[in-house]
Amino acid sequence: MASFMIRRIASAILVLALVSLMSFALIWLVPGDTAAAFLDASATPEQVAALRTALGLDKALPLQMAEWYGRVLSGDLGQSVLLNRSVAGALLERLPVTLSLASFALAIAIALGVPAGVAAAVFHNRWPDQLFMTTALLGLSVPDFWLGLVMVLVFAVSLGWLPSGGFTAFGSDPLGWLKTVILPASTLGLVQVGFIARMARASMLETLNQDFVRTANAKGLSRVYIVLRHGLPNAMIPILTVIGIVAGALLGGTVIIEQVFSIPGIGRLIVGAIASRDFPVLQGGLLFLAVVYLLINLIVDLLYAVVDPRVRLS
Amino acid sequence: MKKHSILGQALAATMLLSMQAGASAQQKGGDVVIGISQAPPSLDAQITSAQASRNVTLHIFETLYARDENAKPVPELAEGVTISPDGKTYVFPIRKGVKFHNGKELDANDVVASLERYRKIGASLALVSAIDSIKATGPHEVTITLKQVQATFLDNLSSPRAPLAIYPASEAAKEAGKIEIIGTGPYKFVEYKPDSHVKLARFDGYVPNPNGTGRDGFAGKKEAFLDTVTFRFMPEGGARTAALESGQIQFNETADGPTAKRLGSDPRFAIHKVVPFGLQVIKFNHAEAPGNDKNFRLAVQAALNMDDIMSIAYSDINQIDPSWLYPGAPFYSTAGSAKYNKADLAEAKALLAKSSYKGGKTTFIVDNLRANVDTATVLQERLKEIGINVDISIADWPTVSKIGFTPQGWTFWTHGFGIEPFEGPASVMAPWVNGLSQQAKDPVIDELAAALGSEMDEAKRKALFDRFQTHMYDNAVAMKAGNYGVFQISTAKLKNFKPYRIPRMWGVWLER
Repeated sequence: MASFMIRRIASAILVLALVSLMSFALIWLVPGDTAAAFLDASATPEQVAALRTALGLDKALPLQMAEWYGRVLSGDLGQSVLLNRSVAGALLERLPVTLSLASFALAIAIALGVPAGVAAAVFHNRWPDQLFMTTALLGLSVPDFWLGLVMVLVFAVSLGWLPSGGFTAFGSDPLGWLKTVILPASTLGLVQVGFIARMARASMLETLNQDFVRTANAKGLSRVYIVLRHGLPNAMIPILTVIGIVAGALLGGTVIIEQVFSIPGIGRLIVGAIASRDFPVLQGGLLFLAVVYLLINLIVDLLYAVVDPRVRLS
Repeated sequence: MKKHSILGQALAATMLLSMQAGASAQQKGGDVVIGISQAPPSLDAQITSAQASRNVTLHIFETLYARDENAKPVPELAEGVTISPDGKTYVFPIRKGVKFHNGKELDANDVVASLERYRKIGASLALVSAIDSIKATGPHEVTITLKQVQATFLDNLSSPRAPLAIYPASEAAKEAGKIEIIGTGPYKFVEYKPDSHVKLARFDGYVPNPNGTGRDGFAGKKEAFLDTVTFRFMPEGGARTAALESGQIQFNETADGPTAKRLGSDPRFAIHKVVPFGLQVIKFNHAEAPGNDKNFRLAVQAALNMDDIMSIAYSDINQIDPSWLYPGAPFYSTAGSAKYNKADLAEAKALLAKSSYKGGKTTFIVDNLRANVDTATVLQERLKEIGINVDISIADWPTVSKIGFTPQGWTFWTHGFGIEPFEGPASVMAPWVNGLSQQAKDPVIDELAAALGSEMDEAKRKALFDRFQTHMYDNAVAMKAGNYGVFQISTAKLKNFKPYRIPRMWGVWLER
């Protein structure tokens, strides 16, 4: 277990080093003077020079890179020029919003996707199988921004059941939070249901054809017991892998959905940073998302051992 | 005679009744949420020239002078001004009894500290560059001395672009973006949630300008009836429309034409046309061939049909107008307009034949705003008819604006001028001074701009602006396609709203 963790952390550090290098390089990939890009055309040369100094762009490239890594290692992602505050502060402020949205979406995707996939496998080649898999394919084919707008039209504009956008923090009003996240989370989650359902179906079909399932059937155990006690746990490894991938995709999906639903999360922060060329936010945001993505993968790896004792993490 | 008298009495009675109905309909209370497309980069009004910030900050802060409905500077926190005979000293008596949102009374020290702060970190330093000194010459009197005569000084003081907002002296001592949001305006700051909203509440201690007779631009008598005003940041147009239709917001800052048309027939909503909101400019790069050739530029100017451009780029909300200022502006002029919107292909071909252009590729840089891309596309098709080969290069605004202020890599560039024509002639001329926008110095423009700045006689200043506009057309320095507007949509319950540069929430109330 310990050696597994060490190997995973070492590979995560390598990935982070590469991502941070790419983040740092962003500032050099932009044509022209990055400092001038922040300022409007009426900026004086003195103002541009002052900003270059503030951003550290007047220093030699190796020195800038060393400073960048030094800051990142100490948890300092720099100062946002536009927001006039620390990048880490801005990210942490928005993290609960994005995490709660993505988590809720993941819960919806799992809650619908796994049972649908299991049911499709149990009723293989019968109408529930056809129904769930056709619906799953439909879900996979629908762009999330389109689904979001349709859901707003139906549930907010026509029926008036839910707000069309905005966000209420869970801490201040749990019911308000539920009302504001249900549409965006459903939009994000429903698109991913098909992905999980298809993998759950394939994995369950394979498991249900194993000898131990045949033995359980021969013993006269109930069908439900066999599926839930023997089938599903043995089919979980590929499903978990897909859930990990979906969790990462959901984080990426929030970038669009936060725009559509006017939700003040990390995705919207990054989109704003791209539009305004706020490089410190962009660099910090990319690195931050990479860390979250790596953490998700690590958690999924650890869960393999939890759901299947045969897996040795060493 | 008798018939006229009866009719007159009936008319007077009707007017009186409607006035009474209007007066009695005014109701205090209610909350309005405004969907705006961009979040304000800062609420420190002095340090940003973003429209999104102006939308909010001009409800909170006030200035010594402010623009009236026709963009003329009129006193706001100042009672007036006395200008010395040499035109260099301005003495401003400050209104007494004006309260900040923290309860402190406004005095000369607040004004001095605020203006001094602007001289250090203001977003439009050119507005205060002529100031030599600012002194409190009494508890409620401020004297500003200029280095040289500047005819536009009151225009500058009242500019809403990055307003010279008056803060309490204690806040004015703070760095950019570090202030407490405390002003003297009709609404006070409540909260700012990044990427979500800014909330304001009515300031019941507000002291309206006693000289104001009603809502008048950014000045006049500002009466706040609403309890709160929330500016919600909603980048997606569809999301703003959905929020309006579902009652989550009561005002949409900007909507597209089809949406305005659809909701216009719904009695629950009121459509407001803000026209003109900007003018569409098409720039030439004078630093590179073929834009450096006057005959080439004149050929393009002669060829273009501005009706086509504006009707496609700004369908249902445009004005064909040759002036570089908006209709109603004191210096509005049609000078040089004989060369505007000629759409004369024969003349264009003749001019092109006299130019050095021999059929090479020209580059039209344009950002991804739909109206700007439409403008470029219509121009491309039109110029094909006279043999000019235009290649359109689309990128996001930061990239395009970066290229457009360099002398290489572009021939044409189009975008909007919004605040400049509103501010007046000096602001319209400023982008062409020192060759900033055309990338090559134009001595005539530089001379006219300098003369406008030092000429105190209004008639002579107007003549100078007429000469500038004629020069723009005679040399096709750049082209104006036309004026455009924006559609704003509110709930029909929002009463007495009048479109202006920002969605003003004073003088309006919610009908219950």
